[in-house]
Amino acid sequence: MQPEGGKPRRLTRFDHREVRAALLLCAPTAVLMLALLVLPTLAVLGLSFTDAELGVPGFQFLGLGAYADLFTDRAFLRAFRNTAIYVALVAPASVVIGLVLALLIEAEVKGRAFFRSVYFLPVVSLTVAMASVWQYLMHPSFGPMNLVLQRFGLPSINWLGSSDNVLTSLALIGIWQALGFNLVLFLAGLTAINRDLYAAAEMDGVRSAWSRFWTVTWPMLGPTTLFVVTITMINAVKVFETVATLTQGGPSKASEVLLYTIYKEGFVYLHIGVASAMAVVFVAVLLVLLLVQTKVLEKQVHYA
Amino acid sequence: MKLIKSLAIAAFAAVALPAYAETTEIIVHYPMPNFFKGVMDTISTEYMKQHPDVKITFTSPSPTYEEGLQLMLRQAGTAEMPDVSFIGLNRLRVLAERNIGTDLTPFIKADSNFANEGFSDRLLSLARFNGKQMGLAFATSNPIMYYNADLVRKAGGDPDHMPTTWDEVFPLAAKINALGDGVIGMSYRWQGDDWMFSALLFGHGGTVLSADEKKVTFDGAEGLGALKLIDRMVKEGKMPPLASDAAVQGFNAGKIGISFWTTGALRGTINGVGGKFDLRTGKMPVIDATKGHLPTGGNAAVMFTTDAKKQQAVYDFIKFAAGPFGASVVVPGTGYVPNNELAAKDDRYLGKFYDANPLFKAGLSQMDLMIPWYSFPGNNGVKVTQTIVDNLSVLVEQKTTPEEALKTMSTEVQKLLPR
Repeated sequence: MQPEGGKPRRLTRFDHREVRAALLLCAPTAVLMLALLVLPTLAVLGLSFTDAELGVPGFQFLGLGAYADLFTDRAFLRAFRNTAIYVALVAPASVVIGLVLALLIEAEVKGRAFFRSVYFLPVVSLTVAMASVWQYLMHPSFGPMNLVLQRFGLPSINWLGSSDNVLTSLALIGIWQALGFNLVLFLAGLTAINRDLYAAAEMDGVRSAWSRFWTVTWPMLGPTTLFVVTITMINAVKVFETVATLTQGGPSKASEVLLYTIYKEGFVYLHIGVASAMAVVFVAVLLVLLLVQTKVLEKQVHYA
Repeated sequence: MKLIKSLAIAAFAAVALPAYAETTEIIVHYPMPNFFKGVMDTISTEYMKQHPDVKITFTSPSPTYEEGLQLMLRQAGTAEMPDVSFIGLNRLRVLAERNIGTDLTPFIKADSNFANEGFSDRLLSLARFNGKQMGLAFATSNPIMYYNADLVRKAGGDPDHMPTTWDEVFPLAAKINALGDGVIGMSYRWQGDDWMFSALLFGHGGTVLSADEKKVTFDGAEGLGALKLIDRMVKEGKMPPLASDAAVQGFNAGKIGISFWTTGALRGTINGVGGKFDLRTGKMPVIDATKGHLPTGGNAAVMFTTDAKKQQAVYDFIKFAAGPFGASVVVPGTGYVPNNELAAKDDRYLGKFYDANPLFKAGLSQMDLMIPWYSFPGNNGVKVTQTIVDNLSVLVEQKTTPEEALKTMSTEVQKLLPR
């Protein structure tokens, strides 16, 4: 609205109309965002400082004490730890395997579309339905996974029923699920690499596939890799469906994860205040992950 | 002639139309559609046939008792609140303590016919808290023994004379377990909630809390006895730690010999087994023949409407659903035991059903042992349940002793009681 070098020009009637139209066009989205995103978030933030309970009128203000209680709550700490372990298992494995598979598929021209679809299937299938399939595969007495182990004379594993194995078993499902998505992202990243770079590298004496990968592919995949790592971590932090359908956090809290604990605290134990505080901590964790991604992305992995 | 006919129609319309306008709509909500959908449809159709002036509408059902309860708490006092809902017996207290739901006592007092309709005091007590009649028990259950007669026979047992005590159950379970091929001897449904634990506690004649509800009382000999039995299920009966679904699937697939669970799951089990093996049921093993009891599972019909004009109609529907006709639909449709005493004896309702369906008799024969499922007081009432389950699971995994588990469990539960 400010013409170059001159004094601010008065808005014409036409400008006014344009501004009004712009505001009008933004309004529905703005109102919806406010009503469905901002206000509920603020409500959760507000409730997190109270001892609100579902069905009980009125509540007391606890202030930061609500959060102090949270960090002495064994179930919540356990969920925090379990979620961290789950992410530590799922994120690296699904990223590395996804990358390796992407390289293998990229290298082979035949059947590329076929393999891509096969590995992408878990992403598009319904998690809850797939969880039932895993429940069958992992069944201790007739599950195919144990039958295979028995065939090779190995002892059966109680995949989901034992507190020592349950988190690893869930992570296995998590990896299977994240793999296809990562693979497709890496494939997209690989096709975006300029072929000339490989030719140039060859001229400079890069001969083996191994060094070609480290000198060209890996650096050029930097932004993709960072994106894949963050999105996988965020998705892993949000693990819920498999836990809710297969283990309900058990046995003895061994598979209790953040989102499931929040759900249980709020909707089963009816402690809305506590659940809100947990939700705030959960969102904070996600925000930190996002922040790290954008910061690092801006600074380090920029080749374009 | 034509004139008379049209006059008659006009007169009929004049009388009938206002009546039609006065139709009462009752909005009903229920949990667990996989158990109750068919049952609810039958009951409401029959009720509307008998009461043309009433229209019953269902809101979308909730998958579990917990979600049903949560829905009612959330909608309490709003326009969306249904008039009737079916609430888990162990969750009624949550409503009573929050003053949600209508006390049925005045309606029952004003109802001169109530005593003749088969509602015993034992039945009423299942849904009574601090003198408030929160609802009428609709479906009630007790734990029974399911067994795979083929596996029992294979292991050298006699399916016609099954063990009646735990001391005899364990060796049989161990023999079945030794059959190999992934076969598991026994399972006991300790996961999910405290119901099956209280079956063992009540079986010893134990109680959960003191009369004033200030102190845990399951930390004594009876509670220890209950946990020792669970310990022996693992050590002697070779019970593995299974997730609850895995146990159900294992049994239905013919891979588990003996399984202890609610009789309410009977219809589902019959369908799940589908004739793959010789499915039988029996009574729970007796622990203490004189003092022993069993907990009552199930749900109750609760009135939520606060509209005085509607309440009488809603009360009438609740009575119908929980009454002999309701029971005659619920029992065959699910496996729950008839909560209504008239329904069990009268040939018009279920008298003949039991002769034709012997699997349903196990639950029926234990009805005189049933006492209320304990609901814990205060705002941690629901959390207590989980605390008990978590401790049981440590014991089933053999990472603790019964003595130690009892100590941790009672200390943790004591902390969650209102002070």
